[in-house]
Formats: sequence, C-alpha cells, structure tokens
Amino acid sequence: MTSGRRVGWWLAWPRRTLWPTRDGWWCLGAALGLGFAAINTGNNLFYLLVSMLLGLIIVSGVLSEQSIRRVRVEPALPAELFAGQAALVAARVVNRKRWRTSYSITVEVLGGGHRAYLAKLEGGGARLVTWQETPRARGRWRVAGFKVATRFPFGLFVKAAQLPPSAEVLVYPAVSPISADRRRELAGTGGAPAPRRGRGHGLHNLREYRFGDDPRLIHWRSSAKSAALMVRELEADAGLDARLVLEGTGRGDPERLERGLAEAASLAVHLLEKGAAVELVGPGVHVPLGSGLAQRTRVLAALALFDPGAPAEPTRVVPPPSDARLRELRVPLG
Amino acid sequence: MSHFVALRLATLLLACDGLAALELAGLVSDAGTVAAALAALATWWNEPLRDRVNAVPGLARGFVLVAALASAVDLGYLAASMLDGLARLLLFLLLYRLAMRNAVRDLRDVAFLAFFMLVAAAPFTFGVGYLFVFLVFLVAGTWMLMLYHIAVESERATARPDAPVAGLGRDLLGLSLGASVATLAITGALFFVIPRIGQAALTLRTHTPRMVTGFSERVELGSFGQIETDGAIAMRVRIPEQAVGEPDRLPGLRWRGVALDTYDGRAWSVARRERSELWRSPTGEFELGRFQAMGPVLIQEVYLEPFGTDILFAAPRLLHLSVRANAIVVDDAGGVSVQNAAARFRYIAQSELESGASWSGEPLDGETRARFLQLPPLSAAVRALAREVTAGTRGAREAAAVLTAHLSGRYRYSLALRRTTTLDPVEEFLFVQRSGNCEYFAAALAVMLRSLDIPARVVNGFQRGEWNPYGRYFIVRLLDAHSWVEAYVDGAWATFDPSPRGSVEPGGPPAAVALYLDALRVRWYRYVVGWSLQDQVLAAVRLHQAALAWRLSAPDLRAWRALPRGLVMLAALVALLAVLLASRRRGAADARAALPTFYARALRTLARRGLRPGDGETAREFAQRVEAAVPPCAEPLARLTTAYEQVRFGIRPLTTEEATMIERSVLELRSRVAPFSGHPRSAAASRPPLQ
Repeated sequence: MTSGRRVGWWLAWPRRTLWPTRDGWWCLGAALGLGFAAINTGNNLFYLLVSMLLGLIIVSGVLSEQSIRRVRVEPALPAELFAGQAALVAARVVNRKRWRTSYSITVEVLGGGHRAYLAKLEGGGARLVTWQETPRARGRWRVAGFKVATRFPFGLFVKAAQLPPSAEVLVYPAVSPISADRRRELAGTGGAPAPRRGRGHGLHNLREYRFGDDPRLIHWRSSAKSAALMVRELEADAGLDARLVLEGTGRGDPERLERGLAEAASLAVHLLEKGAAVELVGPGVHVPLGSGLAQRTRVLAALALFDPGAPAEPTRVVPPPSDARLRELRVPLG
Repeated sequence: MSHFVALRLATLLLACDGLAALELAGLVSDAGTVAAALAALATWWNEPLRDRVNAVPGLARGFVLVAALASAVDLGYLAASMLDGLARLLLFLLLYRLAMRNAVRDLRDVAFLAFFMLVAAAPFTFGVGYLFVFLVFLVAGTWMLMLYHIAVESERATARPDAPVAGLGRDLLGLSLGASVATLAITGALFFVIPRIGQAALTLRTHTPRMVTGFSERVELGSFGQIETDGAIAMRVRIPEQAVGEPDRLPGLRWRGVALDTYDGRAWSVARRERSELWRSPTGEFELGRFQAMGPVLIQEVYLEPFGTDILFAAPRLLHLSVRANAIVVDDAGGVSVQNAAARFRYIAQSELESGASWSGEPLDGETRARFLQLPPLSAAVRALAREVTAGTRGAREAAAVLTAHLSGRYRYSLALRRTTTLDPVEEFLFVQRSGNCEYFAAALAVMLRSLDIPARVVNGFQRGEWNPYGRYFIVRLLDAHSWVEAYVDGAWATFDPSPRGSVEPGGPPAAVALYLDALRVRWYRYVVGWSLQDQVLAAVRLHQAALAWRLSAPDLRAWRALPRGLVMLAALVALLAVLLASRRRGAADARAALPTFYARALRTLARRGLRPGDGETAREFAQRVEAAVPPCAEPLARLTTAYEQVRFGIRPLTTEEATMIERSVLELRSRVAPFSGHPRSAAASRPPLQ
C-alpha cells in the first residue's frame, strides 16, 4: 500500500470511540481472570472459555461497526427560529448501506442532550427524529453535531461516531406582541384603506349572503333591489408604512442592544402583518422599503446578523420621508 | 413469540445448560440435577408466588440471609472441596434469581451464573459432553444477550420498565445464529493459537480414580476375573495412518503393562525390582530400547483413562516414549510408569513388534536367570507334564511353543473360577479344573517353562481391543485385561500367549454410531482437552511446510506474460463482462429492494429539468410540485407515482399491462420534459422521496 493510499484510507475511515459498559467491564474481567486460571492450571477448557469471551468481544465489535457504519444524520431545520422561543427541530437518520440493516442505534444531539433510539433501520431506509430546541441568542445557529452510538449486539461496549454539523439557520431576535403604548401610538396614526378584502371600514365589494356571514354586514338596500340577501365585503385597513431607525451603536450595553433589536423585530413583524411596508435603517444596516413575507425575512435577517462590533460604516443619509404615509419609528439600541 | 417470552426462554435454556455442565463435572448428583432442572422450569409459572413473597417486607432478604449462612456452613464444614460448595452456591443463586426475577436485568444475572457454572465444570470434565454444553451456551447466550440488549435499550429509551419492544424476533434469531457461528470460528482460531504457556500449578480438586486390581506389584491369581466383566474403557490406542496400513490385522497385538517374576504358589509378585528414573532427552523423548531390525515399528498414540494405575501400556518391545513429564520410572522388567494416575493421560509410544524370527543375544547373567527361574515347592506332576509335552523338542523356543499350543488346545477358557481342592492353583488348573482365565493359563505356562529351566515371567496388560476405523484406534476396555508369558529364548524375551481367549473376538462388532461417537470423544480429547504447546509448534511447522510445498508447486505468476496476447485480452474481456454483468444484476436487485427502476428513471428525467425530491417530501407532494412547475408532466408522473407506491408499499406485483403502461408513461414523461432539458445530470437525481 502506498503512503498516499494509506493516508486516504486513514482519512476515509470514520473516527470511532469505544468504551466498555458495566457488563463489558465484567466480561473483560472474566476473560482476564479465566486467562489467569488457564495459565495456572493448564486446563484447555479454560482456554476454550477465554477464547469464547474474546470471540464474543470481536464479534461484538464487528456487528456494532456494521450497525453504525454509513449511518448519516441530516438535520432538517425549521425556516425560522426566534431567540428564546422553543421550536421543533428534526433530523433525518439515513442508513446509506444498500442491504444491511442497522440495529439499536441511538442518535444524540451534541450539547443538547436530546436523544432518539432506533431499534432497527433497514438498508437504504430513513427515519425522521424530532426534538425541541430553544436558541438562546439571535445570529447564526447550527446543531452542534450528532453522535451516533450503539451498544449492539451484546451491550458490552458503546461504540460511537461523531458527525459534524452540516446545516445552519438564522435565529431571529425574539419577537413578542408589541407593547400597549406602541400599539396606541401606531393606532393613533390611523390607517389607509388597502385595495384588498379585509376588516377595515371602506366598501370593497358586494356579494350574496353565505351561511356564517355576519348579519350586521347585510346591505339591505342592495338586498331589496336584487331580491336576495347581499352582504358587504370590506376593504382591509393598511397601517401606515414605516421606517424603523435603529438609534445608537449598541456597543455599550449588550442587554439593551438585544432588547432594542427584539423591539425592532416585533415592530417590523407587526407592521408587515398589518400589510404595511417597512424600511430598516441603522448603523451598517439598510433594508429598503418593502412589504410581504420576503421583506419580513430580509428585515429579520438583518436584525439577526446585526453586529455592533463590526467596523462602523457611516450611516446612510436617508432623506426624511416625503410621503406623509411613511412614518419614522425610532428604536434605541443604546 | 413476544420479545420477553423469547428472552425468558433463552435465559431458561442457559440455566439448564449450566446445570448440565455441573452434572457433567460430577459437581451435582443426577437426582440433584433433575430436581434443580424441574425447579428452574417451575419458575416459568411462579409469578403469583413471587408477588406474595415480595409483598411481605424483608421475607426475600431473610431467605437470602438464611441461604447465605447455609452456604457458609457448607463451604466451611460439609463440602468435600471448596468447588463442591461453590457449585451448590451457584445453583442456589441461579434458582433464586430465576424465581425472584423482578426486572429484566435479573435475567442477565442468570446468564452470568450459567457461565460461571461452565467455568466451575471445566476442570473436571474430559468428555465430549462438554462440547455440547459449550455449543448450547454459545448459541443460547448470544441470542439471550441480543434480546436482553434490545429490551434494556427500549426500556432506557422510553424510561418505562414494561416498554414495548420493536418486533425484531426473527431478525435477532437469525443474527444471533450468524453471530454464534462467527464467534465459534473465532473461538476455534483463538483456542488453537493462544500459546499454552501454562503449567498445572493450581489444582482445585482431584478426581479419585477407580482402583482396579491386576496391575500392582502383587497379583493374586483370579484377580482379573473381577475386571474381565467390566466394560469401562481403559484406554484408546490410536495408530497413525502412516505407521501401519491395517493395524487391526496385526497378529498378536497386545498392550504390555507390568511383568511379574516371583510365584509363591498363590500370587505373582515382583520380588526384586530395580527401578531407575529416566529423564527426558534433548529431543523431548525418552529412549528405552534400541531398534534391532527384527520386526515392524508401530507408533501408538495412547489415551489412558484414570483407572488407578501409573503404568504406561504399549506394544512390546518399547523403543521410544513421548510423554508430558520430565521423568519416567523404568524397571528392569521393561515396565514403564509415571506419577500421574489421577488424570487422563496421553503419550506416544514406538515399539518394535516381534516377528518370530530368532535372534541370538546375550545370555542372562546368573542372578537374573535365577530370578526368572524361581519356583515354590512344586508338585512333581507339573514337572512331569512339562517334560512329557516337550519331549522331542529342540531348543527352548520350540519347547515354549509346544507348551503354549498344548495349553491353548487342550484347556478351556472360562471366567467361572472356583476352587474345589486344596491343591496349588496351577496344579488344580492343570489336572482338576482344566479350565480357567488367562491368568491360570499364563501362570501354568510360566511355571512349566521354569520347571524346564527356561527363564519366564508373567506379563499383565491388555489385549488389543475393538478397532474403530473412523478414528483409527483400538478401544481397550477393562474386560480386555490379559495375562501372557515372556520367556527368554535365543537370547531375547519372546512372547507366548497360551490363553485361547487371545484369538477370540470379544462379542459382536460394535455399532457404527457408537464408533462415530467414540471417535468424536477421542478427537475432543486429542484436539481440545489435550491441546499442548508441542501440538501448536507441530501445527505451525506443518503449516510452514505446506506453504513451502505450495510455493514450490504453484505456477510462477509472472509466467502470464509468456501467454499469447490474444488469450490474455480475451480473459480480460471475459472478466470485464462478468464484472459488468454482476454489477448490473446487483444494481437491479438494489433497485428492486429500494427504488423501482422505472421511478428512478422518471426522477432522473425530471432532475434534468432541475426538479428533485426535497428532504422529507413524499412522492405525492413531489408530484404536485412538478404539476405546478411543468403542467404537461403531471399526467404521466401521476401514473408513475401511483405505480411507485404500489410497488414500494403494496403486496401485489405489477401485471404485464401495467408494466407496459408504466414504460409508456416514462417515455411520455421524457418527451414532455425534453424541450426544457439542458441541465446536467446530478447524482442527487436518484434520491427517492421520503417513504
């Protein structure tokens, strides 16, 4: 074998850890004691029993390797994670061997202590395992990795392989219902009708009554004209479009920074859900005005990745809103 | 059968196996074994009793305390040896664990206890029965450990003691059988390879051998009569294949033991035996005589049972001896003994058989001659008979032969020995009874020879026994015990057997099954119980020699260059085709097992369009996505998805019409995707959707 091939083989060979269980220690102790007895008595049946114990240990090693070999864990992370909020995280455990079945596998999430036990995983098969995860802080987050372990077949040894993390997801700042003051402040500014169906005040359309419609929305005049019950469909009320301005650098007080970012995220989500367009401006951050789910993702991602320690770019001078419907909301970061 | 029932069954098997081991070793009596086995079986239904005992606080613990005290007394005062006491303690613990089982983990303790029973039995068993106990333990133990492991892991995963276990019954049974076979193979390899550096320095218990008469320094006439009805095996004598072609046809083959020189009218004894200790030569053998080229050399591998004698038996005349001892004791009458009467013994002897040819050696010196001519006061009738029978003979050899023929022809062999006169036993045999066993024949011949001034001695040993062709050895039983005479004629000791029994085959031929089983016993003893460092060295040397011989006889691998190029290319082509065919078959088998071929083709086709099943996406979800992205593909893909689900999850195979329709759908899908294709193929294209 050339040195290159040897290195290649070494790299390709998966790293394993092997440690005896309590029963395994008993087995090793028995083998040692019997070996001692065999040497001292010269009794071949003792040698036979020692050989059997060693044979069991070897077969155990082969079968356990067979069980965890080519078993991969592919994390299936949710699209959105919010700091401090529990979410269901999944991973797909795949047996990439063609025919050989893996038995008695434990998949453990490193660092989290979550584990799942699979008694059997057929060759080529996959199983989805889920667990609850609560990210502590915003930013990039990835599963620390997985440990695939087995005590199969005899429970004498724990053989484990560590699989590195392979996917990451952005953890957005915590989003919570906005405070009553803010809500009043926003409500006080009134709203503008949006050209779509909603629960505002303006008339959007008239249609025939359907079972379950609010009787208060019956348009009696049209009903009288058409000899059929007609109801009003109302227009949606869109909030005022907003520019969120992050004030300060956030370098002084980390707690205040996180509070501010969480408030900004909550405001953005609230406004965007109301149908408003939102623009985000801050030190080193600028998300142009936009609305909808894509804008929500853009704003939250910008807030998740906000780094107060990054080289400070000069804040873009954004002209004051010329449109009266674009309201400026300031969020202090400290 | 549920997982837990299988686990309990395997555990019970292990417990019974441990009991069988103790019984084999003689550590538990037959009645005790039966009682313990019944008690173990009864534990299968003892749950109500267990619950009652457990309901009384401290009762179970008190029971254990009393049993512990009883065991202490047993170990200290009652047991014949410490191991006997430990065996009983193991038995109690095993039954207690089976009866009072509260958790799955208690079953593991039963398995450990059964293993320790096998360990306890190991020093005291030689028989092949241990092989069966060992094999049962290996198979049942492997199965039990796997079942136990799955049960414990399920319990751990769900944190419930009564956690349901996934149905792995058949899987585990098959896997455990495979693991047992693999473990057995590895065990065998390790067993034969682990160096035997140990010496028997620690004797835990010694078996008291059964004592038989007939092979001590003083043998009463008639003592063989007691053992000549005993069918117990005394030894087995294996004749290596290369030694003699058909050993069962060798004339007058017998196994010499002790020679007796003095007759006092009632018993034969050794009056003045000179013994010397002989130390092993550098070659590892004991040299006992010189080859005289007078007869064929017979190699014998002897497995001597412990029946209370330290004599080593071999065909006369013994030349070399190979035995696991540093020294042996040799007496001046050719007897060999070793201090190891308590255990089964194996040795290899080389003898030069008598051919009947005369050989002029040295005459005996006066003292020795007087020793082998000793006689008690003898009736004149005996001398007269001897002279009468040998009248006209020339020389001692002829006289001895005539006397032997006279006795074997005119006297009857009988085991019904009874004295009716007060005469000397030999005189009564010759003139009154005219029948007796081999001892009387031998004694009469020896006395008559001595009365004719021919030195003679009585030799006790065994006649050759039953021939076992399956193991190429003689089975020698105690009933084969035999006496004959050695007379010093023509300057050498020659064998004369006057007993007509020697030419009689004892009983009918043994059954083939019995011979097979006995051959298995011998092999077990030879290759397992008696496997030694010397055997290991010999095996390594033979392996080396075989490798060398193969290397010399194997064709030179570089010679292929000289072969015609066309032939080489043809061979390479055939090999390539075989590999392709094999891989195609394997690929097809794999597709059948995991992903139907037609669906894999459909996925590859769609992958060209950039459409691949996502993680966790089912086949139907994928079809819906494709429908939204490429509407023309929706119809054929829907048909293919339905067929895929039927093949993958259904039981019914596809009919010919369905297969044709599927093929058409694949082509249709390809034609509809084609205008959009242009993406490179991707390895991920064949990834199936979530099943």
